[in-house]
Amino acid sequence: MSVKEPPVVLEEPAPERRRLADSQPATTVDRLKDNLYYLRGRGALEISGVYLAIVIGFVVTSLVNPAGFAFLNSNNLSGVLSQNIPVLAILAIGAGVLMIAGEFDLSIGATIGLCGVVFIRTANSAGWPVAFAATVAVGIAVAVINGLIVVSTKIPSFIATLGMSFFWTGVSIYVNGNTPATFFPGVRTDTMVNLMAGNYGYFRSQLVWLVVVGIAAWFLLHRHRAGNKVFAVGGNAAAAAAVSIKPKAVRLQAFAFLGVMVGIASSLYVARTSGMQPGTTESYTLLAIAAAVVGGCSLTGGRGSVTGMVVGGALILTIENGLVLGNAPGFYVQLFLGVAIVIAAVFNKFMEGKAT
Amino acid sequence: MSTLLGLEGVSKNYGPNTVLKDVSFQIGKGEVVGLLGDNGAGKSTLVKIMSGVVSMSSGRYVWDGEEVNRVSRPETERRGVETIFQDSALVPTMSITRNIFAGREITNRFGFLKLRAMDAITTEILDSVVAIEGIRSAKQLVSSLSGGQAQAVAIARAVHFKRSLLILDEPTSALAVRATEALLNYLVQLKSEGVSSVLVTHNLHHAYKVCDRHIVMNHGRKILDTTREDTSVEELTAAVVEGAEGVKRFRQGKPLA
Ligand SMILES: Nc1ncnc2c1ncn2[C@@H]1O[C@H](COP(=O)(O)OP(=O)(O)OP(=O)(O)O)[C@@H](O)[C@H]1O
Ligand SMILES: [Mg+2]
Repeated sequence: MSVKEPPVVLEEPAPERRRLADSQPATTVDRLKDNLYYLRGRGALEISGVYLAIVIGFVVTSLVNPAGFAFLNSNNLSGVLSQNIPVLAILAIGAGVLMIAGEFDLSIGATIGLCGVVFIRTANSAGWPVAFAATVAVGIAVAVINGLIVVSTKIPSFIATLGMSFFWTGVSIYVNGNTPATFFPGVRTDTMVNLMAGNYGYFRSQLVWLVVVGIAAWFLLHRHRAGNKVFAVGGNAAAAAAVSIKPKAVRLQAFAFLGVMVGIASSLYVARTSGMQPGTTESYTLLAIAAAVVGGCSLTGGRGSVTGMVVGGALILTIENGLVLGNAPGFYVQLFLGVAIVIAAVFNKFMEGKAT
Repeated sequence: MSTLLGLEGVSKNYGPNTVLKDVSFQIGKGEVVGLLGDNGAGKSTLVKIMSGVVSMSSGRYVWDGEEVNRVSRPETERRGVETIFQDSALVPTMSITRNIFAGREITNRFGFLKLRAMDAITTEILDSVVAIEGIRSAKQLVSSLSGGQAQAVAIARAVHFKRSLLILDEPTSALAVRATEALLNYLVQLKSEGVSSVLVTHNLHHAYKVCDRHIVMNHGRKILDTTREDTSVEELTAAVVEGAEGVKRFRQGKPLA
């Protein structure tokens, strides 16, 4: 092409446009403001605000009336909150990441049963470190089998994993029999208890697990290319495929990630309860999904954040804790909890439209 | 001019429907080819076949003189083919930067994202090639963009990653005049870099201005394949509107019916 092409001119040149580069934040403060602005409407920021308000309310009530509302009591903080929240929050991270990829797993509760049985029985024969590794491995295997069924048959994961939920409960009863699995004397060593269920006054070691798992999950989901692919597949699988992302492979990875989370959460669970009766952990499935939804995960995929999932789990259990402390009768706890979950989900749906 | 990509005898069926029948053409290195035709003529289907996202029912895909047996998106991506699809193919729930770099992120060696570097590149391309108004930040969600702004993001992505062939399926359908002009000028400039492009458009005047060669499709068949020197906007119009009959009549000197 040796001839110089004349430029294409469709009309008189327009006045100079505003360049994008000129509107970029220059100072650190501006950059922070900018980042904060683009966090709006993603769920995490808003639900964290709500959670903070509730915690402040509970703290004030507890300070005013320590006897009637023992929120700040060390038994409550360590024995109830820092023991329950980590297990649910870790499950919510698993369920939430899978939801971002556009899938559900309704067999989470059943898998906890199987994983718990595996932990106890392996610990009885080979010690707890081996048991922990085996439990995570079984968690991954179960989730990947669920995932393979979903991606290869294209059956909605809702139905496929609902069916698998019964199957996995059946497997755990087959493995374990009908009596609860329990640790043999001496299997629950001091080291294991200190690491997985240790009481340190105002908090328990589970909280440390949540912090470590949460930070790792945050970096993987929000700052790693693996997480970027999960968002792309859940947000628009066809568009992801057009840039050579393999939606099936990414969904399987999300299932496997959930498996790791279920493995860890089950280990923490049985380390505390010391026993596992298959068929008693089903309620965790919907609690984990509710926590993720409360924390801003979209039911149709593509939206969500680790912070939101963790806060969502914490919010549900803190409200429940408040109701119990306030001496609400048993059925009111369920009632208020249900209402709180629905309100939080509606709130998040509303915030969704505000994202920029 | 040596040939970059040749399609030979390409057909495509969707079940009983044949949407492409025995289509052959070549794209030269550094050539701008206009792919024209009425709605439903098969242009986008050809674009998808060239990009490797849809497989052909029969035919050969010859790249730089060598047949590619299993054309797939990873395969064409490796060869430097980038496409702006008619439907943009963006993820609405992700930011502009994350869309542009989805699947091809700039990372450190452990796979962690270098977001600042990616934001800087995004800003740079959006400012240079696609002179689009109103985008405030590379961090904006694509769902918060207007149709034209979203199209600009798809263009920016293709422009950033293309190395040998840029395919544009109605890239200016949502763009205002200035942005259109910037993009058309960019295609002309690409020639000097040796990058070929295929432009699908319904605006024959635009096509005529920038394309070296024009291919007109009609009901899944190629009915015209001509250099700019050998044709005119009038002939292209006759071909698009009336099909093979129109070309024949035009060449015999009769006016458009
Ligand atoms: N996935 C599909 N399944 C069945 N038929 C299809 C499919 N995709 C395209 N077609 C048909 O193939 C024909 C050509 O479609 P194509 O999208 O290639 O047209 P086009 O030339 O790009 O038209 P337009 O100018 O409107 O974009 C149309 O009749 C369309 O209905
Ligand atoms: Mg088309």
